[in-house]
Amino acid sequence: MISRKPHVIGKPFPLIEAQRKLTGVTCYAGDEKINPDMLHARILFSERPRARFWLRNLDAARNHPGVVALLTGRDVDGRMGHTVADRKLLAVDEALYAGQPLAVIAAETPEIAAEALALIQVDYEDLPATLSIEESLSPGAPAVHPDFMSYRGAEKLNAEPERNIAHALTFVRGDVDQGFAEADVILERTYTAAHLQHAPMETHGGVAQRQPDGSVTMWMHVQAPFLQRSIIAGALGMSPEKIRIITGCVGGSFGGKVFVSIEALLAAIALHTDGRPVRLLLTREEEFKGVFMAPAMRAHIKMGAKQDGRITAIEATYDWDVGASVDAAIFHLQAVTLAGTGPYAIPNVSVRTNAVYTNLLPAAPLRGLGVAQVHWAIEQHVAELAEILNMTALNLRQWNLVKGGDHLFPNFVMHASGLESCGVLAVDAIGWRPETPRPAEENAADASVRPGVGRGMALGWSPIILSDQCGSSVTIRFDRERLCDVVVDGVDIGQGLYAFVTQVISFELNIPVEWITVEPTDTANYAPDWEASYHNLLWSMGHALLRATGEMKKQILSYVAKVWGEPISNLDIVDGEVVSYASRRKLPLLSLLEEGMGEEKSPPSFSVTATYRPSNVDGSIDSLLQSFASTAYAAEVQVNPETGDLTILQLAAAADVGHALNPESVRAQIKGAMIQSVSFTLLEEMVFENGVPISTDFMKYPIATTADMPLQLHPIVVEVPQRSGPYGARDLSHHVQVGAAPAIANAIYRAVGVRIRDLPITAQRIYDALQEKRARESAVR
Amino acid sequence: MKAFDYIRPNSLEEAGRYFAQGKSVKILGGGATLFLQLQNGELAPDIVMDVKDIPGFRDVRYHHNHGLKLGAAVNLQHLVTGLEIRRHYPLLNQTAHQLASPQIRNRATIGGTLAWASPVSELAASMLCYDAVCHTWRPEGARAIPIGELYLGDFKTALGPDELITHVHLPSFPVRTFGVYQRQTVRHDGRRMIAGAAALAVRKHNALTNWRIAVLGVDDRPKRMPEAEALLAGAPAEEDIEQALAAVQDNIHPQDVVYARADYRRTVLDSLLRRSIQAIIDNLQDYNA
Amino acid sequence: MKHEIRFIINGESRSLTVLSQQTLLEVLREDLGLTSPKHGCSTGECGACSVLLNGEVVNSCMVLAAEVDGADILTVEGLATDDELHPLQKSFIDHHGVQCGYCASGMLISAKALLNRTSRPHEEEIREALVGNLCRCGAYADIIKSIQVASRARR
Repeated sequence: MISRKPHVIGKPFPLIEAQRKLTGVTCYAGDEKINPDMLHARILFSERPRARFWLRNLDAARNHPGVVALLTGRDVDGRMGHTVADRKLLAVDEALYAGQPLAVIAAETPEIAAEALALIQVDYEDLPATLSIEESLSPGAPAVHPDFMSYRGAEKLNAEPERNIAHALTFVRGDVDQGFAEADVILERTYTAAHLQHAPMETHGGVAQRQPDGSVTMWMHVQAPFLQRSIIAGALGMSPEKIRIITGCVGGSFGGKVFVSIEALLAAIALHTDGRPVRLLLTREEEFKGVFMAPAMRAHIKMGAKQDGRITAIEATYDWDVGASVDAAIFHLQAVTLAGTGPYAIPNVSVRTNAVYTNLLPAAPLRGLGVAQVHWAIEQHVAELAEILNMTALNLRQWNLVKGGDHLFPNFVMHASGLESCGVLAVDAIGWRPETPRPAEENAADASVRPGVGRGMALGWSPIILSDQCGSSVTIRFDRERLCDVVVDGVDIGQGLYAFVTQVISFELNIPVEWITVEPTDTANYAPDWEASYHNLLWSMGHALLRATGEMKKQILSYVAKVWGEPISNLDIVDGEVVSYASRRKLPLLSLLEEGMGEEKSPPSFSVTATYRPSNVDGSIDSLLQSFASTAYAAEVQVNPETGDLTILQLAAAADVGHALNPESVRAQIKGAMIQSVSFTLLEEMVFENGVPISTDFMKYPIATTADMPLQLHPIVVEVPQRSGPYGARDLSHHVQVGAAPAIANAIYRAVGVRIRDLPITAQRIYDALQEKRARESAVR
Repeated sequence: MKAFDYIRPNSLEEAGRYFAQGKSVKILGGGATLFLQLQNGELAPDIVMDVKDIPGFRDVRYHHNHGLKLGAAVNLQHLVTGLEIRRHYPLLNQTAHQLASPQIRNRATIGGTLAWASPVSELAASMLCYDAVCHTWRPEGARAIPIGELYLGDFKTALGPDELITHVHLPSFPVRTFGVYQRQTVRHDGRRMIAGAAALAVRKHNALTNWRIAVLGVDDRPKRMPEAEALLAGAPAEEDIEQALAAVQDNIHPQDVVYARADYRRTVLDSLLRRSIQAIIDNLQDYNA
Repeated sequence: MKHEIRFIINGESRSLTVLSQQTLLEVLREDLGLTSPKHGCSTGECGACSVLLNGEVVNSCMVLAAEVDGADILTVEGLATDDELHPLQKSFIDHHGVQCGYCASGMLISAKALLNRTSRPHEEEIREALVGNLCRCGAYADIIKSIQVASRARR
């Protein structure tokens, strides 16, 4: 057993969970507690964006044979929210959006539950609704939440509920008016990005069971079980220790399984049944129309620059359509505000981000936290500005790039970063040589490549912000029964968390990987008020692991040192053995755990718990900001000038991860993000008809298949160490999403001379822009 | 899914008896579309009738004079792998490669796909080019429906409620038949059809005869374009092609959909068809060279 | 209507009583406890429920259980032998062909179907063989690589 060497950081390491996932053993939401006696829950969702409603025939549904419980908003009238309770558990009298739960039912079989739901007749009386950012912000628009100020937590937000602004953040540096006055050129543009769906392959769901003591145990595969415990407790008016959430691997989250959507209803209905387990699994259609979407964006950018290429000022407004609830999107606003200038050190800045309420499905942040959409605007804007200034976009970027030592925010000074290397390497990977400036008219078309082919690039920077009020906690137990047993408060959502935990412990304690077992996360292992980080786990969990392993090593060595009568400084653990460099004594840890040592014959056991909590929590704009992660994308595309049909010939992404702890895994994450980004950029758009989502399956909301992959992918790992990060590393999940869309758009521009400023980039949009360009050109002639 | 009775008759007569019971019957070929309607509650038949075991339904027969007979329950994957298809019906084979996914092709049947009558049926477009004839059976007897008459538009067919497609017949084609299919979809696996254009011609001496043009995504059903075909006869010059393309534009009626406007579908079709026709002409030149 | 069906599942013969309207996926998961095929969409779009039916890949959510009387079915549970993983499984582990893992069973089954008929598929063939399997993590590149390596190792 001991023959296997401990793991070394920075060397390939297989994902611990991979074997279980590939043999069908890993348990997902739908695999939990399958048993013939369990009950099955279904939810009735509103089908109108905003309406008074009446539920008729409730008794028929309630008395339908096999129905065990039925709840409406009159039975459980709770409000939910983490920061602000702007959602109801179940609507009462008035539904605010299509997809809002109106009732929940539990029955003996899924078929009975569906039949009973069909018996309920819903009568609607439509009320004035607002269905877009433009509508919500226009004077006289109906307020989505007229009673906002009465909600729990409302005072924490910077809201103007009567104008449908749910929360707004601003960041100002210097004097933008002055900056624009100094500028030789000013460019103003509007960019938009569509509503997206997280669309994990595993739909939302799980199992809940009322316990004899009135508490509820839930087996749910969610990204943030601790946050969910707190939100569900708040919604049901229970204390958090009455809610226990046990998780396992999550079949994809991308941000969609962080905040509570249907989970509180599952808990509520389980509490109203006879103590049998209740299962709720959403259909794909319900997943599309009844959970969360990712916010749509409208960005207005005004940028001024001197003729020599110095950007003097930026005024940027980012409006986000957060649907009928802002609670999940608050954190997203901080990220986009911090990233709002793009990776440029501009002396005069005014960035404002608004979360705008509409009568649409609530929004939750998507992987990338909106920073990808911010760059959709900024990185096209910079390219267009460069053209006006008669210089290459690359040069303009280099002129203005953020550098280490720049004092960007009140409490944040930029660290060394691989921003510039990322750009150079990405461009190089697609075979694009840095070019010399050319006259503007030539800039439009890429003379060096085939007609209809163009290359473009974009840089990206993305703040690594830790979860508000959250930390990471690790418990390591070392004893004869379980060897090295690890309890963590994070969840494996496909990023390889269990592998990371195992890798660090094996390396730090210098013990074989096989000794280490990571337990599934269970909220019962932690204090009721504990809230665990749910993203950027490399950072927070990494720090907790380093503390825990340091303490564990000290415990073990001091135990042995005491028996051997040597100072602890002589001792170390090497390949699973305690060794003394002075006396050359050796003691396998296994025999220590099996037989003990010295006088005390009873074998010892060791246990350590360590936590990490960010210290910079003060409510300022850069509160919780740890670092900026950089990326660059470069794309080579081919456009059919007749139809706008687009093929991505090559796509390169370079990401500065500080230190690639598990290089192949890092590359896999980058490649995955590249394909997901292509999907977001070219295919995805949540479409509504009168406020009702009509993108309700994978035919109407297509996501990328193998047929949509770029012909060549070039993932590039850049390593400029992050001094404050574990092993010099930083998280990569969010930031590798940043830059793909504008790189593709910039490449399209160089291929056929048109700019697409609305996401997704469809062939029809390219065609329309080409038609417009032709009309313009013939008008000039 | 609502409860129903699954039955699997062994003969047409037995199938007919179920139709005669006065219950609602839905036919299961591969289920690719039936399941969607059963799952979402659009259909709730009393009986789901699986026709795979009816004699002849899974037959594939090819004769160099008589052509190809494809049983209604032959799956679409056979159009990809079947030797007789690959050799003698290259357009059908090329089209089949792009249909849906392996999972769907392994289940979906020829009869079921044709009876679904999707306005963007790529299978039907290809069959139109080959002058396929649909053979059906109902208790009153059998009949033959040319594929061009099967479709009435917008998912409607000429089939009666108790009528089964038994097989499809494709006449034999000379070995020197060239066929090309081009399509543009939003997602590259074929989802969200914007338009598709199939073209076929037979080489005779150094010219191209027997031109067949079928288009989809630009009308309420896949359609042949006889006016354009007439203009292409012989060895079309560039202006013949332009006239043929113009004739196509005069005979289509595309609709707006969420992901593509009608005018855009026209433009795309024009571009695709031009490429299809050109590819056939290039083929001839390669052949002659 | 009830049906007595008999079929071979992962090499073992089984008899079972099923209802007309039950799908193969439902019976595999709920009655036989074979949970490697996953529920993803029930419209035949995602391929998470893929199984081999008489050696060909199908979406088990779009097959009636009553239809498989007499058939031979393989799920991922039947891929490995007692003491050894299937070369595809090994390769997926070694080459990061899995992230969240929800699509993994379907991917393995599609890959198995491909390798059943093509021993050394090239990249284009693998891409084609996987168009019916969605992976939201976007792990396609490594999945394709895993299949390529496994096909080379297999001979």
